[in-house]
Amino acid sequence: MESTYESVRSLGRSTPRAVLAYVRLGRMAYDEALDIQRRTHAMRAAGLVGDVLFTVEHDPVFTRGRSAKDGGFRVGLDDVARAGIAVRDVERGGDVTYHGPGQMVAYPILDLRQHGRDVKAHVRWLEEAAIRTLGRYGLTAGRRDGLPGVWTDRGKIASVGVSVRSWVSMHGLALNVAVDAAHFAMINPCGLPVKAVSMNDILETPAALSDVEAKFVDAYAQVLGVRWEKADVAEILEAVHE
Amino acid sequence: MGKDGAMGGKTEVRLPDLGDIESAVVVEWLRPVGSRLHEGDDLVEVETEKTTFVVPSPVAGVLSVVRVRNGEHVRVGEVLGSIDA
Repeated sequence: MESTYESVRSLGRSTPRAVLAYVRLGRMAYDEALDIQRRTHAMRAAGLVGDVLFTVEHDPVFTRGRSAKDGGFRVGLDDVARAGIAVRDVERGGDVTYHGPGQMVAYPILDLRQHGRDVKAHVRWLEEAAIRTLGRYGLTAGRRDGLPGVWTDRGKIASVGVSVRSWVSMHGLALNVAVDAAHFAMINPCGLPVKAVSMNDILETPAALSDVEAKFVDAYAQVLGVRWEKADVAEILEAVHE
Repeated sequence: MGKDGAMGGKTEVRLPDLGDIESAVVVEWLRPVGSRLHEGDDLVEVETEKTTFVVPSPVAGVLSVVRVRNGEHVRVGEVLGSIDA
């Protein structure tokens, strides 16, 4: 089944001429971005806006998904607090993960009814966009059976965790560009005893986060088979006042 | 209206077709047995492929039966519970 995802250039089953609004949030605290996601989700579910993709770089935070187990942290929560890192429980799937400076986080708010009603495909498209982005830097990465996310032979480079309500997605994918390894070392990413790796651990010439974002947006729109247009967050959220 | 579970009937809540997956795990019932529901209300949350999915109530009525508990695996099409009209 996996090969069918690889075999075509555009993997999405979107309606022709669909447009993805792309909003670059920049550096933003997790809670603020979550509020923007939730408001955008409500508006997408109500049909007030079209599909939106956010990219963001968070202040340090650990988030626990709905299936988070106690073994996610390698250190005590008091150590986490001492390091000044917040912990949040969120509605996405998956276990504990880390977000912080040097990581590109992508949150697509898509109405999956217009993309084939397939929650697995939605995750695969995110992974595929990350794999293609990494390929643009000459990095080889791929999937592992039964282990969602994106992997290199040096470790896990991107994590996924999604929630879907009213068939509209929230949360998404986090790609490590140049992440503080000491922060990541506090957890078992996604509950697994694996090593997290960043792009710049492997690349001889370091990648800039803004460049990774630009390449990812192109790759994601290509995978979905849509074109994207830049938008700002006020434009999206003010549709509610109309 | 020709809908499943017409007046006075019982409507089964099933795990919907979520695409290329066969099963999911029940994360949490968002409403307890006895809850009065509107069609489309968030009812039960399931997880598969690192994705949580909120199954909505297919009809208005009262949640009368919860067939699967939190943490259990369910297959697509399997009955999760029932709603009395």
